[in-house]
Amino acid sequence: MSVSSVTELVAGKVYALHNTFELNGKISAYPEKARGFSPANCYLLIDEKAAMLLDTGYTAHEGAILEQLDSLLDREMPLSIFPLRINEFMSVCNTMAIAKRFNVVECFSNVPNIEEWVEFETLRGEERNPILKTTLVGRGEQSQVFLGEKRKISVLTAPIRLISTRWIYDESSKILFSSDMFSHIWSDFENSPWQIGNNETDPVTDFKFVRSYLLNTRYWWIEGAHTKPIRNAIDDIYTRFNIQTIAPGYGTILRGRNHVVNQFKVLDEVLEKLDRQHILPAYVPRGLER
Amino acid sequence: MIMKNGNSLPREIAPGIFWLGDCLEQQHKGMTYHSYNAAFLLTGNESSILIETGHPKDFPEIERQMVEILSHDQPPLKHLFITHQETPHSGGLGRVLQNWPNITVHGDVADYHLAFPNHKSQLKNMEVGDKIDIGGRQLIAVEPVIRDLRTSLWAFDTGANTLFPGDGFAYSHYHWDGHCGRVAEEAESLDLKDVLAVFAERALYWTTTTDMNIYVDKLEELMDELKVEIVAPTHGLPVTDLAATMPKVREGLISEGNVNT
Repeated sequence: MSVSSVTELVAGKVYALHNTFELNGKISAYPEKARGFSPANCYLLIDEKAAMLLDTGYTAHEGAILEQLDSLLDREMPLSIFPLRINEFMSVCNTMAIAKRFNVVECFSNVPNIEEWVEFETLRGEERNPILKTTLVGRGEQSQVFLGEKRKISVLTAPIRLISTRWIYDESSKILFSSDMFSHIWSDFENSPWQIGNNETDPVTDFKFVRSYLLNTRYWWIEGAHTKPIRNAIDDIYTRFNIQTIAPGYGTILRGRNHVVNQFKVLDEVLEKLDRQHILPAYVPRGLER
Repeated sequence: MIMKNGNSLPREIAPGIFWLGDCLEQQHKGMTYHSYNAAFLLTGNESSILIETGHPKDFPEIERQMVEILSHDQPPLKHLFITHQETPHSGGLGRVLQNWPNITVHGDVADYHLAFPNHKSQLKNMEVGDKIDIGGRQLIAVEPVIRDLRTSLWAFDTGANTLFPGDGFAYSHYHWDGHCGRVAEEAESLDLKDVLAVFAERALYWTTTTDMNIYVDKLEELMDELKVEIVAPTHGLPVTDLAATMPKVREGLISEGNVNT
């Protein structure tokens, strides 16, 4: 079972499409021992004459995501798709399904010919998939694309990453879309609101929790690494952009500057203590819980 | 070696181990490299097992290669083993099961119930040490020393002492110098330090941030313990002479760990 919901982050401009999964040890993005529920979050950015979808969600949520999009978007509206991690199922599974129903005019990607990366079914007989236009985004630290004529979308190489990952900053809404980072707030309840307001309490974020989350998920390798360049790159993004909301690819959205400041502060403290200056690297066996 | 449309694969790299797939072009610092997102077909006396599914773009070619090999008096395909959840390794899961609907899928099977919900009843989870017997040889799940996702597993074939390390040994090759379809020792001009860097920047970023001596030591320890004779990586060229190639792999991996020092 999965619970689907939509969060309006900025009326008429930014929506989160949540579709939940159970944390049962079988979700690679979460610690093996995490229990409860968390959503996969796709984000729909809407402008006057165009829209952009960040990530397309898992196949298990295909029907729900198509319904969510239908509730927010005219099917004729020019829609661009931007998978933030081209190699991960959560980013790409529903690309073709969405392109079959909506007016997908382009896909942003760091690889050419994106249709070669998002085809997961064998076509039979006369069946054909839509042709997807790929718009390449650079491999540099930052590039920009536009939604409609004026809305500037900054495309950032994720400063902390396991695989090729992009973060997005939407200047219009002041939201940082952080893909697999800041995704550590899940819930015991499948129908949680999946956002924490500026004056609400963050139930888990502290040094110990974030350290453990990083080391038990995709940052298993970071203890004893050279984290200074990573910290510098994160700080550069924090300093350059007026981030008011953090919108992760999984888990709970953090709204308001108080939460933004706290998240970046705790992350920096954790990375600083994990640096090789403080702790020597050691081999990390698969499944080691820390 | 069977050639079709310029593709040098499939190729039998050891008795009963067929290297499948096709090259993927990569641009890196103004140069054009090729790399593999390979699959391997392992045939036993009673059944066959596919290791990795290949990149989504390659699946029609891999399917054609598999059908051709299996049609030549090989035991039926009954299993699929996948090293981890990235699409160049597992993106063909649904398409394999469309064509061979009765096989079972093995590995750490996290996420596949969300990506391929129609096939969740066929997912069989493995942990390090678990085995699949295909008659006369076994495929054993082993420690994934160099990995990305925490849910990775490597595999070891007892029939030809072959290690399937997924993202380990991830390196590109030089199409312009005829490396496509060759094993590492045949690609004489292959500069492992250079081609490991292509993957480090794109896919294994973490290897540039840490002391890779630790991981190479552990890799060599694992290979000694298993008595590995052949390495069949998903992205790199297969290694068939460890004494000749492992020192170069060590040098290349360690230099990656020094990028940010």
